[in-house]
Amino acid sequence: MLKLNVLELEKSEYTGGKSSLCPGCGHDQISNNIIQAAWENGIQPEKIAKMSGIGCSSKTPAYFLGKSHGFNTVHGRMPSVTTGANLVNKGLSFLAVSGDGDTASIGIGQFVHAIRRNLDMVYIVENNGVYGLTKGQYSATVEKGSKKKKGVANQQAPIDLCAMAINLGCSFVARSFSGSKKQLTALIRAAMSHRGMAFIDVISPCVTFANNDESYKSYNYVKANDEVLHILDYIPHFSPIEEVEVPEGEYQEVSLFDGSTLRLETLAADHDYTDAVSALSAIHQSEKAERHVTGLLYYDDNVPTATDTLGLSETPLVDLTEDLLRPNPDSLEKVNSGFRS
Amino acid sequence: MVMHKTQSHRRDPASSRFVRALGTKRAMEKIVNDFVVNVATANGTGSQSSNLIILHSMFEMGVPVSGKNLFPSNISGLPTWFIIRASDRGYQAPGDGTNIQILMNKDTWIKDLEGLEPGTIVVYNEDVKMPVERDDCVLLGMPMTKMARKINPKLGRLIANMYYVGAVAHLLGIEEYAIEKAVKAQFKGKEKAVELNIQAISEGREYANENWDFDCQFSVESREKDPDTFLIEGNEAIALGSIYGGISMLSWYPITPSSSLAESVINWLPELRSDGDGGSTCAVIQAEDELAAAGMVLGAGWAGGRGMTCTSGPGISLMSEFIGLFYFSEVPGVIWDVNRVGPSTGLPTRTQQGDLSMLYEASHGDTQHIVLIPGTVDECFEFGWRVFDYAERFQTMVFGFNDLDLGMNRWKTSGFTYPDSPMDRGKVVRSQEEMDSMPEYGRYRDVDGDGIAYRTLPGSGLDPILYRGTGHDEDGVYSEDPQVYHDTMARLKRKIDGAREQLPAPLIREEEKKDLGIIFYGSMENTIVEIDDMLEESGLSVSTCRVRALPLHSGVEDFVRRHDRTIVLEINRDGQLFGIIRKEFPAELIPKIHSVSYSDGMPPRARVYSDMILEVLEGL
Repeated sequence: MLKLNVLELEKSEYTGGKSSLCPGCGHDQISNNIIQAAWENGIQPEKIAKMSGIGCSSKTPAYFLGKSHGFNTVHGRMPSVTTGANLVNKGLSFLAVSGDGDTASIGIGQFVHAIRRNLDMVYIVENNGVYGLTKGQYSATVEKGSKKKKGVANQQAPIDLCAMAINLGCSFVARSFSGSKKQLTALIRAAMSHRGMAFIDVISPCVTFANNDESYKSYNYVKANDEVLHILDYIPHFSPIEEVEVPEGEYQEVSLFDGSTLRLETLAADHDYTDAVSALSAIHQSEKAERHVTGLLYYDDNVPTATDTLGLSETPLVDLTEDLLRPNPDSLEKVNSGFRS
Repeated sequence: MVMHKTQSHRRDPASSRFVRALGTKRAMEKIVNDFVVNVATANGTGSQSSNLIILHSMFEMGVPVSGKNLFPSNISGLPTWFIIRASDRGYQAPGDGTNIQILMNKDTWIKDLEGLEPGTIVVYNEDVKMPVERDDCVLLGMPMTKMARKINPKLGRLIANMYYVGAVAHLLGIEEYAIEKAVKAQFKGKEKAVELNIQAISEGREYANENWDFDCQFSVESREKDPDTFLIEGNEAIALGSIYGGISMLSWYPITPSSSLAESVINWLPELRSDGDGGSTCAVIQAEDELAAAGMVLGAGWAGGRGMTCTSGPGISLMSEFIGLFYFSEVPGVIWDVNRVGPSTGLPTRTQQGDLSMLYEASHGDTQHIVLIPGTVDECFEFGWRVFDYAERFQTMVFGFNDLDLGMNRWKTSGFTYPDSPMDRGKVVRSQEEMDSMPEYGRYRDVDGDGIAYRTLPGSGLDPILYRGTGHDEDGVYSEDPQVYHDTMARLKRKIDGAREQLPAPLIREEEKKDLGIIFYGSMENTIVEIDDMLEESGLSVSTCRVRALPLHSGVEDFVRRHDRTIVLEINRDGQLFGIIRKEFPAELIPKIHSVSYSDGMPPRARVYSDMILEVLEGL
């Protein structure tokens, strides 16, 4: 018998079309983790809106959640389209996938402002340090000294999207690795349970253009240099006792918006996910050591979302009927006579 | 030397005799409700209030009047002019010259003075201490700043402007009740300000009365005022229209001259669009740039909302990528372009019809967009709500075309008319039953033959697709198939072509003799009557056709067919509508269509265009 989730749906209800990415691409693993997370969390597929920009990563919404509407928008502009949709329908769960070119270069402005507004969405960057679809140019997240398969090593300073997000007051910031299935699934599940901007930077090796050992985002390099902050367990609100064994050592629990919990079994004792300075320090220490710090970097459950601050109707605006969208004839008479007096 | 009867010259008997003679002579042929007042001030000195008080007080008396604000791209200090024209014939263009010049700004003083026709009445602030060397003009000085400082030392600079209001009221005979009403409307609820400003205006009037021995040949005369009429900016009319059109998301990025459109929406929302529990039924968001503003409209339209943004030419340039995505993925949305002078940053605070061809074919590849073009504030309101119906009916981005002149100056209306049809939400499948009744649903399948397919909304669970700007087949699935691409583009062409007869038809005013037809659009409506009169003075029989939408209605082509010669009249350099007509109309019609196009940033002056038309006709 097939396994069903809390909505009694099979996992196949959450899958999508066949991937056209290179065999072995890290992005496909992330897609699988998204499918797993959405299924395990028991989210109604039709309530999810899949959003993306342009690039290899942005193609992936075609490969997961086939029962969800989605929009593969233009390069770097996914956040604004998500914003518009969110403002008129706050009842949707927005799941966005972007790449390092899409977010850290052409789309950096929209990324920044979506964070500032604390847009209620899951924002995943599939970060491989190169532009894949245009055949392997460096992106702005590539580390100084890192070298892709062809050409010379990069000499420019990288943009660290997690550090940037923390500085901008992002309410949920995490980094993971496409090869760390357990950690990544737990983080995506937690991100889906969060209300506000949940940003996850996922290092996802480009098997074609930058999977050589000199590339800091290759499988071998990340495997050898992964600075894991904590072991993560996600405890869903609908079954708080199953699935998770209570760890023996020290642990912390993060209470999420929908009542679920993210349990952090602490490895790096000095990391405090509620403290931006601690999070930034972890990022800078690992950068200095030419390593990648992964896990939940920063979390703040007390930031109002984009729609919270606008004083909108309780009902999502798309569900309002004409009598609420068009003021009555008397009101126009009042407007006219106001001008006349 | 023509003298003014003030201060140093007051005791000069010769000069005062001359002034009296000049005044008396003109007084014999009083010119009623037909003159132009030009006020030269510096930006940020509060002169806008004074100018609007003159405008509104005359309007209050029923005098047909219009005002043009020529302001700089600056907050404080640069020169600004305000042109007030009274015309019993209803002319609203700035006119060819100035009859009464107010001089307040020392920076433009000399040049303003030099440019005046002999005989112009010059009212100037003596405290600016600039020479007034025009023997052939009527020179009337007043120590405006000194007098203002006497009643309020701190606000002297601002209040000085009210003294020229008093001077103009005295010269033209604007009645006190009308001034009072205009002041009260201008400083709504601020009793102290009302009192102070009325005092200043009265003092100005008294000073002029006591010190100027000059009988002005121009005067206002009360006309029966339609109690329903009022003056309003086009931008505010559009804002109200959009609110009655059910706008549910406004994204905007500040840019002159469109900001007041967004700000009007914001001002009116609390009163008009609350849900009864204090929640707003429209979201407003100030975007980080125009690209994001357009993206938000796209997102709102895709999700089933009525999204809108407003901008000007530079914003459209930035939005162009998204505009192509609207067109190709077939998402409804509304973008208002309040035209200013391009190219590039251009003249940001001046007016032009410079964006028409850009709007019509915005974005790369083959595109074509619906453009609504209001010519009056009533149409600003009407198209303000209708535009959403067109966007949702045709599942595409629809432009509203406005310009600075219509958008930021005040025009007359008798009040706005309530929408005469319910909202048209277009072809949306909203339930499983509806979906089941469709034999072979596909997001882009043209089942009705009008090029418009049925869509479903996110959240509905009904036949979801991944919307995309890449090639797609009838089911919305990625495709690079040559036939599929070709068929999609042909259908889009058919869809927008199908809008022609459904869009606002041209307004045609036709003579029996089909001698000359003039095709024009937008804010030129406010000058066309005067142009028409000037041309008819030279014996021509002139019909006019005001285009109100793109793509062009068949009525425009019929108009051309019926007339011997046709002029396409525009406020730009290249004749942008002429270009569209030349491209789309049958080749045999083209030889009888001619372009008259002129733009210098100023609101259109009738004489400039009528002369150019005559010149073109002579050359035929």
